Amino acid sequence: MSVPPENLPPDPLPTVPRPEATPRVLLVEDDGKIAQEVIEELESRHYVVQHEFSGAAGLSMGLNAHFDVMIVDRMLPELDGLTLIETLRERQVHVPVLVLSALSAVDDRVSGLKAGGDDYLTKPFAMEELAARLEALLRRPDTSRHTMLRAGPLEMDLITRTVRRDGEPIDLLPREFRLLEYLMRRPNQVLTRNMLLEDVWNYRFIPQTNLVDVHIGKLRRKIDETGRPPLIQSIRGAGFMLRVS
Amino acid sequence: MFRNELFRTATFRLTLAVVAAMIGSAALQFFFGYSQANVFEAKRSDTLLLREASILQHETPAGLEQQVRDRATDDLRIIMNATTLFDAGQHYIVGDLHSWPTGLVADGRVHVIAPEATGGSSATVLRMVAVSVPGGRYLVLGRSRQMRTELRLMMRHSMLVSIVPTVLFALITGIILSHRALSRVKDMHEAIDRIMEGDLHERLPAGRQDDDLQRLAGSVNRMLDRLEQLLDEIRDVGNDIAHDLRTPLARVRARLDRALNADHSAEALRNVIARTIDDLDQSFAIITALLRIGEIENGRRRAGFGTVDLDALVADIVDLYEPIAETKGIILSCAAGEEPIRVQGDRDLLIEVLANLVDNAIKFTPGGGRVEIHTIMNGECAMLQVTDTGIGIPAAERKAVTGRFYRSDKSRHIPGSGLGLSLVSAIVALHHARLDIMPTRVHERLPGATMTIIFPPFCVVQAGN
Repeated sequence: MSVPPENLPPDPLPTVPRPEATPRVLLVEDDGKIAQEVIEELESRHYVVQHEFSGAAGLSMGLNAHFDVMIVDRMLPELDGLTLIETLRERQVHVPVLVLSALSAVDDRVSGLKAGGDDYLTKPFAMEELAARLEALLRRPDTSRHTMLRAGPLEMDLITRTVRRDGEPIDLLPREFRLLEYLMRRPNQVLTRNMLLEDVWNYRFIPQTNLVDVHIGKLRRKIDETGRPPLIQSIRGAGFMLRVS
Repeated sequence: MFRNELFRTATFRLTLAVVAAMIGSAALQFFFGYSQANVFEAKRSDTLLLREASILQHETPAGLEQQVRDRATDDLRIIMNATTLFDAGQHYIVGDLHSWPTGLVADGRVHVIAPEATGGSSATVLRMVAVSVPGGRYLVLGRSRQMRTELRLMMRHSMLVSIVPTVLFALITGIILSHRALSRVKDMHEAIDRIMEGDLHERLPAGRQDDDLQRLAGSVNRMLDRLEQLLDEIRDVGNDIAHDLRTPLARVRARLDRALNADHSAEALRNVIARTIDDLDQSFAIITALLRIGEIENGRRRAGFGTVDLDALVADIVDLYEPIAETKGIILSCAAGEEPIRVQGDRDLLIEVLANLVDNAIKFTPGGGRVEIHTIMNGECAMLQVTDTGIGIPAAERKAVTGRFYRSDKSRHIPGSGLGLSLVSAIVALHHARLDIMPTRVHERLPGATMTIIFPPFCVVQAGN
């Protein structure tokens, strides 16, 4: 069953300033083809990419140079990805790490995160997914213990569990509240459907139907007003974004 | 080459071993028989010699001389082969031996004398006795081993007569049998070679006799049947995959072709690109689903197993799918038993199963219908049930729906990868559970489908554990 997409004009590609103008990425990946694709994609997004083929070279690079984020494949020659991350963490290097793994090693997700990885992506992955997750790692979400979240005209009270737009209360179901909270902690950031499923609903599979779109649609109808620029925007081919100035 | 193969067959080797054993036992028999007869014959000769000597001792010298002369020309030579009278100086007087045999002592006892010692008058070894007779003379009596030699010849002949035909018969039988086995094995080899070259319809030749080789050939043929069936299934799946991947790609191609020739604005081109990406995503989704099924069917994904609360799982799924059901005007509800039901399983995979079942139920149920999820304890078994009031699955198609890409003819127009239920059955099998498909109600235009996952007792986690 396909739910008709919201009748909105396609959004232009986001041109949101990044926290750092040119983030430096360390890519440790032994598969040359995948590495080449990743490098091209990231360079087109103005990242500076340093690529190493082996775990040992990746480790020495990670220890001796500064990077904003790392992408580490699990299966590497000389030194495997998890040992690399563990060693980095032991030496007090706390750069966020995105772990890549082959499909058959999907079991290892938990061990990947335990070793000190911050996010986990299974091959084959879409480049948009990789880019969105890297960006999410670069801007750590607002996990402050504030009881009030603000994003543009939206105001969320985490204690009374109420949401207002321009002071007007909005009635949300618990699941809608959860979704909006996730969006409000990550304003102006591309969030893929998979990220939402994983983080908001804790599901790790790709549903056949456009479930996330339906949930976003419901939420959008409650918080976006007709005649005003939509707060939750669809990013073609990638996901969604809570756009606030 | 063929002779070498013949020697290598088990039958022929067995034949050779049997023949060798036969020859060995015959030789042993001959040896024992001969040595027994030999001992007996020697004793008999000695007795005869001594008795004869004692009789002749009592003859008068002239009578004795006459007797000896008679014997030398007589038929009795056959029995008593040498009879000779010597004087006190051991000089020849009368008889067959012309000189005193070397080594013979006149002590009245039997001695074995070699033929050359007798002066060449006898061809064979002699047993001899020399006794003194009246007149200071010596009487020498000898008996050849003629009898023993004859005995040996006779036994050898009889053995050859009996053993040679037997051995020949055994050898010929062995060769024929191994030839036959060899030619059957050869046929099988040729059949296997043809199969290896890719002719999967070929089977090992079926012989008439019901023996080990035949039974083995039968097993191999059954295995080939099964392999062929599996390969056919894989080929079908391959065709289905190709077809399902081709459809969106063909759409992509046609659309891009049109866009290339049309005079589109930038906006319209962007729209074409967006729809193209959607079609490509569909192809990707199919490939990803296939890879996942393969991964799960390989059964390597057990590390994520733990205790899963089925009721919590159901509540989560309802939370996830309620908006979509609502959009379609379907009531999605769940009902749990009094006791919480927990099973051994992988939460992520089980939620995927449930999501697929609910997804299908919503997909195939028209607006105004109902989709219900139940968790039930049935005796020791835990059951997870999704019922809908949709178009249902005809009885004939219930088994096929869990196959790859199966889609009922009624549902051809409904989009989907066609892999949902095969993913479900792969995950269910990983959990040692079973998937039952039943109609929800009979005698209605929309019978609906009830999908039940039944966890066996050993998968159910008892409360308090």
